[in-house]
Amino acid sequence: MGEFKVHRVRFFDYMPSAIRAMAFNSRTERLAVARADGTVEVFNFTDNYFQEKVIPGRDGAGIEALCWARQRLFSAGLSGEITEYDLENLQPKSTVDAYGGPIWTLSSNSKGTQLAVGCEDGTLKIFEILADRIQFKRNFDRQKSRVISLSWHPSGTLLAAGMMDMIRIFDAETGHSAHRLLVERGVGACKSKEVVVWSVVFLSNHTIVSGDSVGKVQMWDGVTGTLITTHFVTKWDVLALSVSQDESSLIAGTSEGTVVQFQFLPCTVNDQDKDWVRTRTFKNHSHDVRALVHTDISVVSGGMDTQLVVRPLLDKVEKNTQESALRKIVFPHRSLVCCAKKSGLLLFQFPDHLELWRLGESEGHGKPGDSLPLKRKPEKLIHLKRKGDDHVWCSGLSPCGEWLAYSTVSSIRLYRLQIHDNIISITKVSKVPKILHSAQQLCFSSDSSKLFASCSHSSVIVVSLSQSECKYVHTFKPQPGCRHPVHLLHASDDGNWLVAANTGGEVHVYNLQKLKLHCTVPVYSSCPTALAVHPTTRNLITVHADQQIFEFSLLQKEYTEWSRKLQKQGLHPLWLQRDTPITHITFNPKNSAHILLHDMFMFCIIDKSLPLPEAKSQFSNQMTLRSLPESDRIRHSHSFKICKTFQPLLSLSLLEDQSLVVVERPLLDIQSQLPAPVRQKKFAT
Amino acid sequence: MAPKQRGVRAKSSKADRSDEIMESCGLELGSSDDDAPEVVTFEDSKAQALRSVKQALESARREKDLLKERRKKRQKLFQEQKKRKLLSVELLEEIDSLQKQSQRKAEATPQDEEQREEELEEMTETKQEKLEHSRKLKGNYKVTTVKPQALSSFQQKTAEDFLQSRLYGAGSRRATTREQKSKAEKLKLRWIRKQIPSS
Repeated sequence: MGEFKVHRVRFFDYMPSAIRAMAFNSRTERLAVARADGTVEVFNFTDNYFQEKVIPGRDGAGIEALCWARQRLFSAGLSGEITEYDLENLQPKSTVDAYGGPIWTLSSNSKGTQLAVGCEDGTLKIFEILADRIQFKRNFDRQKSRVISLSWHPSGTLLAAGMMDMIRIFDAETGHSAHRLLVERGVGACKSKEVVVWSVVFLSNHTIVSGDSVGKVQMWDGVTGTLITTHFVTKWDVLALSVSQDESSLIAGTSEGTVVQFQFLPCTVNDQDKDWVRTRTFKNHSHDVRALVHTDISVVSGGMDTQLVVRPLLDKVEKNTQESALRKIVFPHRSLVCCAKKSGLLLFQFPDHLELWRLGESEGHGKPGDSLPLKRKPEKLIHLKRKGDDHVWCSGLSPCGEWLAYSTVSSIRLYRLQIHDNIISITKVSKVPKILHSAQQLCFSSDSSKLFASCSHSSVIVVSLSQSECKYVHTFKPQPGCRHPVHLLHASDDGNWLVAANTGGEVHVYNLQKLKLHCTVPVYSSCPTALAVHPTTRNLITVHADQQIFEFSLLQKEYTEWSRKLQKQGLHPLWLQRDTPITHITFNPKNSAHILLHDMFMFCIIDKSLPLPEAKSQFSNQMTLRSLPESDRIRHSHSFKICKTFQPLLSLSLLEDQSLVVVERPLLDIQSQLPAPVRQKKFAT
Repeated sequence: MAPKQRGVRAKSSKADRSDEIMESCGLELGSSDDDAPEVVTFEDSKAQALRSVKQALESARREKDLLKERRKKRQKLFQEQKKRKLLSVELLEEIDSLQKQSQRKAEATPQDEEQREEELEEMTETKQEKLEHSRKLKGNYKVTTVKPQALSSFQQKTAEDFLQSRLYGAGSRRATTREQKSKAEKLKLRWIRKQIPSS
């Protein structure tokens, strides 16, 4: 079946960025996550937690707070500006300077008409959200210390602001402070340090819950301005608080990495009196938890260890089902590695630079599982720094390895490479057509003669490349009214077809010879996560976020026989239960029945000539097959061949010389570069 | 003047000696209660009071003088530093002369020509003025405008420092990387030892 020489690559120093803020839009079930480097990611909670959109950040624009107002997304940071994001074009739409110094917190009222902003200079500013922009409305009374956290009362008439050493309750009509709640400082050495109220939540019964740097969660009465209870949760800081929609459950995130849950329960059975009782503690993080969201059925937490953890609450979902499983989203759901199949080059995309590496070579043969000695080590050929402040959005490398392109939000740059033995030269193509000013996806054709770039509103621009110049050829536009951004772009090996998929689930196929739209694949409810066109059979394979696989024949414009058979029988439950999406599909030139796919923790070769696995049969049966005698193997083997040797996988491709390139990023390497966690004494260490 | 009064001591010589010893040591155990207090004349106390007042005045004066000296020195130092920082007198004269030249030029032309052309000329002249002002002068001096972002980035830096110091600064009780590494190594070795079956 498959004997491959594998280039096992571990020199991609991918470092994810810490999660700084999160905001959940309960109507559309989308979670927006803001990272420390300014990137904003949108996850679709209904579609298997797929990372739908990624808006790149820029230098010097760290985000401190994020909030949804109706369907619009706003963020604010220490640069002092409030940014609104265009979720269709995946860029910042507009920025407004709040003129209050660095902004620590941002919150919208329940109606979504006003934004409150807490600034470094002690002012609380209210902005009105208009149809196309936000406008400054008024300032509240200026305070002496910085405003670190903010919470609107559900009615929109009161605001609670957490500052240094105190919490103030403001009247939204007059702007004056109605109450001042003094927060106690720590004991001993901490008495001289001011206590920072990192987070406040204003409940509808006028209770204010606050989490501070001493490690306590306090409940205050907002009407009288008095303290109700104090819960000492941790020795370190309580950094984040979140309350559920029905206000019966509250979660607090700490610097230790724990998330503590409080529930509003009657103290004894048959008692009418309810009180906040500490119930569960979740320890899913190794570093500080900076952001928390309490959805109806789960607790979502993120922090300095860069992992997004979704913990469904077992009193809201059924136990031992797919729904109740703990989800950890560690790596991005798109590929950051480009492989030039013909020349054995790898392009790694970082937010601030690109690296081009040449793979090593080895001689000799060995048994399966052996490590072969290297004749020539892999070497870094080019380290290309990006120009300007915007982070790299997407990049591409042509299969022959002669063209390199990358795009930021503001510009596209194209480079011509020449690599002869040890002489490497890179020249920038200066005259890029003006119509190409930024691209969400970049793709080169297999003969490296054309560059495809996807732009706003699902359109794709085709540019031809020759020697050292490029000329505009055509713009493909799908039907009007298509507003979703393109997240997958693929050009077939024979040069006839271009496939573009957008986040609305639409997959458009364009004919490159006739330069027009060939067909649109029927829309499936789940978003496609990877697609590819088979070089010989011209079948389009798409894999979706809910792990479904479809094969669509481009010539006949209908699903193939194999695809219908697969849908009828259904995929094996173990395949459907995987929680990371397939990010890349490739084919084996020697065997047209093979499809190679991979996700974060496994790679799979689907052999269409073999029968499909039954639901009850063993799924990963490679080891058992090896132990069976030859005659029995044919009876038991099925088409899905899984290999879990290489984990965690960032990318997998097949080179022309039939060797596999596997790019791994061990989690330990990421963890060793994270900032320090709190010092905890663990038993037996 | 009150006559000197001295209490007559009707004690034995031994007691006298012991008294003297005790007095010389500074111990006045029994004697202070029994004897009458020491007589100090008015003149003595007056003289002492005057002396202490003089001393106080003297020390205050000395301190004032010292402060004055220090202030003088500091002022001198600042003046010298300022002199060093400022451009030299010749340079200032040169800039002055340039300014006067271009002013004269600007004044001369509008008088000769028509109004519209005058305005254009003025605009171009002011532009030239600006360019002339920003050209390199003698020596290594260049005139540039200060970027307005300097103030806001300072505020941003303070805010970032505050956050960093609260979470990772002194008193935050964080594990250092050395500690983490040594812990990991210890656990690894312990696990390896566990795997090797003990004979």
